[in-house]
Amino acid sequence: MKSPASPSRKRLLLALAAVALLLITTPSVLGGNELKGRWTLRITIPEAPESTTTRTFLVTLEVAPRGESLHGRANLTDEAGRTVGAAWRQVGKRISIAYELPCPGDGPCASLILQGRVKGGGVLIKKGSVIVMWDTTNNRNPALYDTSNGSFRGDRIVE
Amino acid sequence: MMKSTRVGPLAVIIIALAAASLGTSTARMQGERSLAGEWIVSSTPINGQMASPKGVSLGFPDRDMVFEQQGDLRTGVVLREDVGQDVRPLGVWRIDGDQFSTTFQLWCPDTNGPCGSIVMRGQFVRDDKISGTMTAFFDVSDERTPTGYDTWTFSFVGRRVAGGSN
Repeated sequence: MKSPASPSRKRLLLALAAVALLLITTPSVLGGNELKGRWTLRITIPEAPESTTTRTFLVTLEVAPRGESLHGRANLTDEAGRTVGAAWRQVGKRISIAYELPCPGDGPCASLILQGRVKGGGVLIKKGSVIVMWDTTNNRNPALYDTSNGSFRGDRIVE
Repeated sequence: MMKSTRVGPLAVIIIALAAASLGTSTARMQGERSLAGEWIVSSTPINGQMASPKGVSLGFPDRDMVFEQQGDLRTGVVLREDVGQDVRPLGVWRIDGDQFSTTFQLWCPDTNGPCGSIVMRGQFVRDDKISGTMTAFFDVSDERTPTGYDTWTFSFVGRRVAGGSN
C-alpha cells in the first residue's frame, strides 16, 4: 500500500517544481548571457561634437545568433523606423556593438561603438558606454575626428 | 497663329522639365558611389607607430574586404581565410556622395587579450580606388584620449577587385 507523502516532502516537491518552472521560463536559460534576441536600447549621446546638450533616443536591436563565430550581425531600428545593420562581439558578459547612425538630415553624423555587460541573467545591460566618432575632422584628437562619450542601457524584450 | 502661341509656352515648360530631370539624374549618377564589392585595403600606421600607445598591435596590413548592400542594410566582412575559414570579422558601412564610413569589430580569439573596434573614414579617388584614415579603439583604458580608450590611427588605400565578390 502506497503511503501518503508527508507535508515536508510535499513542500520539497513544490519547491522543486517551482525551480523547474523558473528555469524553463527565464530567458537567461534560453539564451544565457548571450546577446542574441531582441533588445530595447536607450542611448544618450551629445547632440553634436563638443556640444554639452545631449539627446536620448530608443532603438530596437534584433540580434542574430552568432553560432560558433566570435562575431554576429544585428539589425537596429530607430524610432523613425529606419533600420541599419550592426556588428557585435561578446566575451563572457562583455559585449560590443558597432553601427553607423542613420543620418538623413544635414546634422552631424557619426559611428557608434557600444560597450557593456549583460546582466540580470541575460535580460539587462546597465551603465553601458558609447564611443561616438563624428564625421568632422579634428587633427588635435588622437582619433583624427571629433569624438564624444555617451551612455546606454539595454532591456531584453521578452516575448 | 493662335495655336502657335499656345504651344510655345507649353513646349518651353516641357523642355525645361526635361532639362531639369536630366540634370538631376546626371548629378545623381555623378554623386552616387557604392562600396559594394570586394576591396584589397592596405593600411599604414600614421607617424610610423608600430603599436598603439598602450602597446596593442593589429598584426596584418592588407585586408581583403567584401561589402554588400541589401536595401538600407549595408554590411561588410573581412576575409581571413589565410587564418581560418571561420575567421570572418564583421562590419557595417554608410555612404554620402563619395564620402563613406565603415565600422568593424576586431577578431580576438584570445579572450584574455585586449579587443577593439575599427572606424574607417574615406572617400573615392576613382570608382575602383578609395583612401582615408582608419581609427582603432581598443578596449583598453587610456586617460590621455578624449574617449578614455586606447586609440591608434592609420592611413589606408583600397583597390577594388575586378570581378570580385559582391
